[in-house]
Amino acid sequence: MLLEARGITKAFGSFKAVDDASVTLEQGDILGLIGPNGAGKSTFFNCLTGDLKTTSGRVLFEGRDITDVTPELRAGLGLARTFQVPQTFEGMTVLENVMIGAFLRTPHRKEAESRARAVLERVGMIRLADAPARSLGTPGRKRLEIARALATEPKVLLLDEAMAGLNAHEVRLAIDLVRDIHRSGITLVIVEHIMEVIMSLASRVMVFHQGKEIARGSPREVTSNPAVIEAYLGKRAAKAAAGHTPVELMGGPDL
Amino acid sequence: MPRLIWLSVVAAIAIAYPLLLSSPFQQRLGALVLLYAIAASAWNIVGGYAGQVSVGHVVFFGCGAYAAMGSYAKFGLSPLFGIPGGIVLAVGLAAIIGVPTLRLSGHYFSMATIAVAETMRLIVTNTDWLGAAVGLSGPTVPRNIFDLSFLSALPYYYLFLAILAITLLITWWMTNSRMGFYLRAIKDSERAARSLGAPASRTKLYAYMLSAALTSVAGALYAMMFGFVDPESGFGILISVKILIMAALGGAGLLFGPLVGAAILVPLEEISNSWLGGKGAGLTFVLYGAIIVLIARFQPGGLLSLFTRRSKPTKDTGAGHAP
Repeated sequence: MLLEARGITKAFGSFKAVDDASVTLEQGDILGLIGPNGAGKSTFFNCLTGDLKTTSGRVLFEGRDITDVTPELRAGLGLARTFQVPQTFEGMTVLENVMIGAFLRTPHRKEAESRARAVLERVGMIRLADAPARSLGTPGRKRLEIARALATEPKVLLLDEAMAGLNAHEVRLAIDLVRDIHRSGITLVIVEHIMEVIMSLASRVMVFHQGKEIARGSPREVTSNPAVIEAYLGKRAAKAAAGHTPVELMGGPDL
Repeated sequence: MPRLIWLSVVAAIAIAYPLLLSSPFQQRLGALVLLYAIAASAWNIVGGYAGQVSVGHVVFFGCGAYAAMGSYAKFGLSPLFGIPGGIVLAVGLAAIIGVPTLRLSGHYFSMATIAVAETMRLIVTNTDWLGAAVGLSGPTVPRNIFDLSFLSALPYYYLFLAILAITLLITWWMTNSRMGFYLRAIKDSERAARSLGAPASRTKLYAYMLSAALTSVAGALYAMMFGFVDPESGFGILISVKILIMAALGGAGLLFGPLVGAAILVPLEEISNSWLGGKGAGLTFVLYGAIIVLIARFQPGGLLSLFTRRSKPTKDTGAGHAP
């Protein structure tokens, strides 16, 4: 088992954003976390990365309890993440942004630079290496987030809505990139709104609603789960939906 | 290599300056510019590169100044022997201040550093062993060359030039190391930097300690040149402000920014002081206030940032271009 969360609860005051959520992640998985807005998937995600301290529950990585381990040390262990709103280092070039990730595995500037270049080559941004990062648009920034995380040579990569704000063409490019990353042996956790992404990528899906896990299974299984449809579309819509394929209803293939 | 050419030109001017403009006033002015450039460059490490605006940096300046004068006044040693002591003191103090305050962000950190500096000034003012309000004096008549007590400003000028060169070399080395990269990343987004494995708190603390050590050296040099230190000249908040404005005016986070700032502000202050006498001191700080407003409003990157390459949004590939 690579990553495991046991009974994670995260409360803000009396409000439980995540209520007793558990998950296990095996080597080679692509786990999708989905749910309507405010369902708690991002909060859960941030508990896994260490950005938020859990109220109760434990997080284990390769059998080791990392619940109280800082994000920077989790990165060192092989847990990398991207941010929903890209946290680009504005004052740096694209290459330098990626070097920050590469510096995790080498203290030498030259070595970090050559590793960063290799990552940029891999994600198809090598031509932009010396461009100032602030000149990038949303898709570029999203891709740069992934490149930086890859440069830390992670075992698990957690993508927080890496496709939000991209158009259909860009989404397909990004999906190809994620597939390529997965093929290279990196285990993935993806938080995503876009059903097409989940359907075509995830091997397993976990659905959140109001802080609780309401379903899990293969993408097919969960999208035909009445509780899931109800969570997304409401009770009446769920009844009306009987007979339609749930994927269509959720804004799937025609995206 | 236009960079290298510029560098040699600046170095040549710096070396030739006191020989070409050789009146005592001009030499003293040159020495002061270099002295403040050292202090401002030291501040730049934590204030510019790490983006942690310390307004209490005079604490470390005072540590150095008091250590240098103390080693003479209390132990009869050359003020030079006080320098390592001052560094140890400053670094230790930086660690004590830094661990709790570097977690604070933005203004809170600045406020905390002011509080520490003012507390220190009050403590020293009320400590008889440190000369209380009168302060400590250095050797009135030099016993030997190691007392570093000269009538002419010329030896100080070259001493300061050497120390400045070392300070800039350390800064340059730092910016090209992993630590420098991490500092810039932390300045832009601490959360992202940490997610990529940058130990934010530790890196900021190291920068703060390095900056403190160099600032204390500047303080020691200052005390040696003037031959005395009192609570106001050692721990006065206005020294902090001066250092900060010099770095910000020239360009915080740029290697030569503080030097440029010092080269503009020190002559300005000296000239206004000599024209207006004692009454001018107040006016100088009115001027500083105006400069803060102007920098903040028109050129937050400092004057030197006018010369760094303006980057336009570049044409993107499909992956990089927003629809």
